Parts: sequence; C-alpha cells; structure tokens
Amino acid sequence: MTGDRASSASAAPNPAPARPSGAGRWIRWPGVLAFAVVTILLASAWWLLVDGLIECAVERAGTQAVGARVELAAADLTLFPLGLTLSGLQVTDPEAPTTNAVEVKRISFLMDGLNLMRRKVIINEMTVDGVRFGTPRKASGAVGKQEPGVVEQIAKTKFVLPSAQIPNVKDVLAKEELKSLKLAESLRADIQAEQDRWKQQVAELPDKAKFDEYKQRLDKVKSSGKGGLSGIVGGASEAAAIQKDIRQDLDRVTTAKKTFESNLARLRTRLDEATKAPEEDLHRLRDKYALSPQGLANMSRALIEGPLGERVATALQWHARLQPYLQSAGERKGNAEVVKPLRGKGADVRFKERAPMPDVLVRAARVGLDLSAGLVSGTIRNITPDQPVLGAPTTFEFAGEKLAGMQSLKLDGEINRVDPAKPRDTAALKVRGYHFSDLALSANETLPVSVKHARADVDLQAGLRGEALEAGLTATLQAVRITTGEKPDAGAVARAVASALSNVNSLHLKADITGTVKEYSVQISSDLDQVLQQALGRQMQEQARQFESRLRAAIAERVNKPLGELKAGFGGLNGIGDQLAARLQQATSLTTTGGTTGGLGGLKLPF
Amino acid sequence: MIRTAYKLLRIIGSETEPGQISLGFAFALIAGFTPLVSLHNVLVLFLILVLRVNLSAFLFGLAFFSGAAYLLDPLFHRVGLAALTAGSLEGLWTTLYNSTLWRLERFNNSIVMGSLIVSLLLFVPFYLLSNRLILKYREHFLAWVQKTKLIHVLNILRYGADA
Repeated sequence: MTGDRASSASAAPNPAPARPSGAGRWIRWPGVLAFAVVTILLASAWWLLVDGLIECAVERAGTQAVGARVELAAADLTLFPLGLTLSGLQVTDPEAPTTNAVEVKRISFLMDGLNLMRRKVIINEMTVDGVRFGTPRKASGAVGKQEPGVVEQIAKTKFVLPSAQIPNVKDVLAKEELKSLKLAESLRADIQAEQDRWKQQVAELPDKAKFDEYKQRLDKVKSSGKGGLSGIVGGASEAAAIQKDIRQDLDRVTTAKKTFESNLARLRTRLDEATKAPEEDLHRLRDKYALSPQGLANMSRALIEGPLGERVATALQWHARLQPYLQSAGERKGNAEVVKPLRGKGADVRFKERAPMPDVLVRAARVGLDLSAGLVSGTIRNITPDQPVLGAPTTFEFAGEKLAGMQSLKLDGEINRVDPAKPRDTAALKVRGYHFSDLALSANETLPVSVKHARADVDLQAGLRGEALEAGLTATLQAVRITTGEKPDAGAVARAVASALSNVNSLHLKADITGTVKEYSVQISSDLDQVLQQALGRQMQEQARQFESRLRAAIAERVNKPLGELKAGFGGLNGIGDQLAARLQQATSLTTTGGTTGGLGGLKLPF
Repeated sequence: MIRTAYKLLRIIGSETEPGQISLGFAFALIAGFTPLVSLHNVLVLFLILVLRVNLSAFLFGLAFFSGAAYLLDPLFHRVGLAALTAGSLEGLWTTLYNSTLWRLERFNNSIVMGSLIVSLLLFVPFYLLSNRLILKYREHFLAWVQKTKLIHVLNILRYGADA
C-alpha cells in the first residue's frame, strides 16, 4: 500500500519513501492477505444481500414481462444443497390492476450446482403450492402506460331485439342498390353495341343480289356448254371459278352466323340472369330487413358469443404474453447462434455443446391450484425456452375431482416448439357437473338476459399451429334458468323472447373458433335458435309476408321498364339472325343445285 | 471537475514510481471497460493488490473508464460479435464454451468479449504512453503546476496552511 500512501500526499513533492529493491519493488506480499480479506468481504456481502437481489430481480423481470407489478414477499437461497424458495408471489392482472392474475404461496426447487456455473439453470423438480387466480390486491399494481393488447377484439355480434315493425320499402330501396337494375343497364348497352356491330357486318356480307349474280353466271355457263367441245371445256373452267367464289361467300356467311349465334347465346344467358335478378334482389332485401330464421340465429349467437368471446380473448392475451418465454429468440450465424437477452446488454453467442442442455429447464413442476372450487393439482413437464435443444415439448396435465360446484375437471395439453418453424400448441379441457350462476348474456337495455343458474358439461379442444387457431367447444347445460328483465313497455317481440327464454331448461351449444390469433371468428350453434324460432315464428312469417309483397311491387315498378327495353333490344338481334339465316339458305341452295354436279345444272363433264 | 483534475495531478505528481501509476491506470482500463462483475476482474483485483500498483490511480482510472465504457458499448458489441462469429475461431470458442471456467467468465457475450479484446490490446500501449506522459509531466510541468495559485489554494483547503 505504499503507492496508495504516497498518492495521498499533496500535489507538492513529498520526501521520497525508502524504495524496496528486487522483487519487492513490484510485489507486495501483504496484498495476498488483502485479496483474501477483500474476497471474503465481498462473498459475505453477497451472501447477506443475495436474497434481496433475487427478490428485486424477480420483481423487475416479472414486472417488465407482464406489464403490471409483480411482487415477491421473500426469497431464500440455500447453498447446501443449492436451492431457492420464493414466497408470496403476486402477479397483477394488467387488465385489472387491483386484482392479481396469479398469486403463488410458495415456489421451491433445488438446482444443479455444476450446471449453474455453466450458466444453466437445471431444476429436476419444482414444487408450486397455493396457486390462486383473481385474488384482490391491497394496492393497484398498474405500472406506467399500458400497451395495447396483442389480440384484436373480434367484431362481436350485438344482441339486438328484432323489431315488430315492417320496414318502410321506400327507405329500404333508397339505401340499397338493386342488382337487377344494374344488370339491366349494363346489358342494354351491350345489346345495343352488338346490334350496331352486326348491322354493319351483315351489310358487308354477300346479299341476295350477289347470289342472283352467281345464278345468272351459272346459267350463262350452262348455255355456252352447248357449243361443242371447246365450249364445254371453257364452261367447266368458268363453272369451277364461280363455284370457288360461291364457297368463299358461303364460308363467310357460315362463320358470321356461328359467331352471331354464340354471342346471342351469351347475351341470352345474361338476359335470363337479368330477368331473374329482381327475384334475387327481393330475397336479399327480405332476408336483410325482415325477421328471418337467419336473424333469429344471429340473436341467439349474440347471447352466447359475448361471454365466450371474452374468455377466448383473455386466453389468447395470456398466450401472447408467454410467447417470449416459450422460445428463445436466436439468430444463426454459421454454426453459432446469437441470442439477444431480453433486457440484457450485448448478445450471447451459443456454440455447439458436447452434451447440449437448455439454458433453463424445469423437468417437472408439481403445481397445486388453490381454486375457489377446491384443490386442482397437476404437473408441468419440460418447462424451457430451448425445446429444440431438449428435443421435447412442454406438457401439462391438471385434474381435480369432487370440487365445490364442479364434479370433475381435467386439463391437459402441450406447448410444442421443438421445431421452431412449426410451433404447435394444443389443449383439451373436460369439465363435468359445473354449477354456475348469474352469468350475464346480454346487457341490452330493453331485454337484459342472464343465466340465473345452470349445470354444465363442457368439452373443449383447442389447437394453435403458428398463427392458425382452431378450437371446438361443446357444452350441455342442464337445470338451466334464464332470467330476463324486460321492461313493462317492452314490445311484443321482447315479451315473446323473454317468455321463450324463461321456459328453457336445457341447452346444447357448439362453438367453432377458427382464424388466426389476431383475427378469428366464432361460429356458434345452439338450441336457442329453435326456441326463438318457435316463439317468434308466427310474427316472423306474417311480417315477412307483408314486407315481401310490398317489396316485390316496389322492385317491379323500378325494374319492369328497363327489362322490357332489354327484351325489345334482344328481339332486334333476332332479326339480324333471321337475315343471316336467309343468306345462308340462298348460298346453300346455289351449292346444292350446282355443288355436286359441278354447278352446271346437269351438264356432264368429260372428266 | 477541478477536484478531479486536482486528484489526477496529485496522483501523477506524487513520489510514486511512474510505472506503478501507469499500471494502475492500465488495470483500470481492463476493469473499467469490461463488465465489473466478471471472472477476469477477480484476477485484476488480485494483481492490483499483490503487485505494487498505485491504488489511487486504479480507482481514479476505474471511475473514468467505467463511464467511457457506456459510450463504447456499441463498439465493444461489434468487435465482440465479429470475433465470436469469426469462422476461423469457431473451434477455439467451441472448446472454451464447453469449459465451465470459461462459461463462468461469460466470454461468449459480445460486450464481454469485445471490451476484453479492446482493453487487452490497449493495455501495453496505454501503459507505455501513460508512463511517458507522467515522466514528461514531472519533468516539464510539475514545478509550474505546484506554483499556480489554484493548486496552492486547493492544498491549503485539503491539508491546512502548513501544506
């Protein structure tokens, strides 16, 4: 420490201390002792502070990952054996900061010390006790500005009571475009163009005068054939020339007629479509504006889609939050893989290992879920962000029996990232005898609907391949009681719906969820469709009949004139067809009278 | 700022051998540039305690180079990544990667590797340059600096009127 002592003197020169010579000039042996003391002090400080450091690290990393406060009551690290116990973990629900999404009483595990020195956290068995969901928090766990959710909300079908009023036909036609009118207008223009084109083309084709001229020339050749051998020879060559001209004209007329007929057939098809279009317009507008079976299906779907859609969105949001921990974000550079730590400095480069092991691996986590219904226990295996290294997916299985308000529950599935290019997650849930109550189906002002109580058996199969989502849910509800809060001034439809729903005591429903994680659709079918149809059937039929009748008249008023003009125009085209047919007939008669006999009217040629 | 300059002047103007001060700065270059909690810094700690290295110079240099490292991290990352992904060195890195001691060193982190390469490359040149500058300072500027009123005032403030 002589150097240090010297440096503490003033900037003015001090008397020079006695300088050691030889090795002592560069080495201070007490430094070894100082190193030992410093090392022991640092190790002691680490030991004293490590629990707090772990606690801070878990809270900081967790808060960053979840987007809401994550708190840990205590962390306890033991060196012999090397293990860690975390107590009182609370993870705030970012969507409801006064509630914990998850609360865990105790997590304890032992670690492999040698692998830990190689920066690999290998845990053979982890115990997770007292997992509870949705527990209240003493203080809000919101942090900063909330990022928008990853999952886009699906366009929910709103529960809207159908009106008993017949829609005003004029209003409907004012805002709707009639396909029939559009078709008629476009076809009329095409027919006109076709007519003009063919009139010009027919004028250019050989006409009756031309065919008469051929006939005269043939007659002349016949008469010249009676003037001896030279006359016969000259007549034959003249006849062959005429025949060639006739055949050329015949070909032109034939081709023109074929083309015309083909065009005419196309126009006829379009005319048929235009003629049928008013009826299609009628059906389309009737289905849209009148109370139809489809409208009733929409209504029942809207009742179920609300609660179901919310749960799907929540599940997908949590799945999206877990993504960074399911798969390490590595980029290959040659044989090395560059992995950027989530919030670290620089990048870690991985090289080929002799015995490859994931950076973090929990081989088995025994989890006890302390649900309000009771204890559901399960095991999660192979928790790691490096599944390709491990070569096995993360699997989970939970089961609980004789729970409060539930006969049994079974959940199993896997999160497969073994091939990072083909991520595949599956889950299967089976719930039996689930009693639930006061589930709001609709907050419609006129007719709020809720399930007062019911007992459900639910089967859910869900799969996610990359972004593609596919799930199927079937549920059977029994001992159902649906309550409605229709107002005294509610209309006839509301009363009918309320009455129908209050009589429902069992229900089967099926939901198919397809699409992508960001944009998915829910197809729901249930007994409610039939129930509502029966309740509103007569009203629906009467309303639809009246609306259809008025709509038909209004459409006819608009469409009949243009359709009439269309038909007239098409009739004009038929006239052109007749002309073409007549010319073809004339040309053909010339060839039949002279064609097989050389066109010479019975004149026998000597060859 | 004045206090810092005064501290530096006190260190290099002391009777300590220039080599000990320079070595303190050079070791501070390694410990300051590289992440402090690294295995190699245990060796640096051992060396600065066992070798006659000026500890004040080391601590002063550590503060300075740690600050500079924040600005140089992007450079260290590039250098480290280039070294770690160089095809010709892959065999060496793979061998080290499979060694527990080297994994503990975190050599495979781009910033650890980059800062270590840069600081080791600069160690000897920096030691020699620093040595030379201290000698030049003592030879040409020390007497003048000591006579300046500012140093006089600072000496009085620190050591009293008898300084």
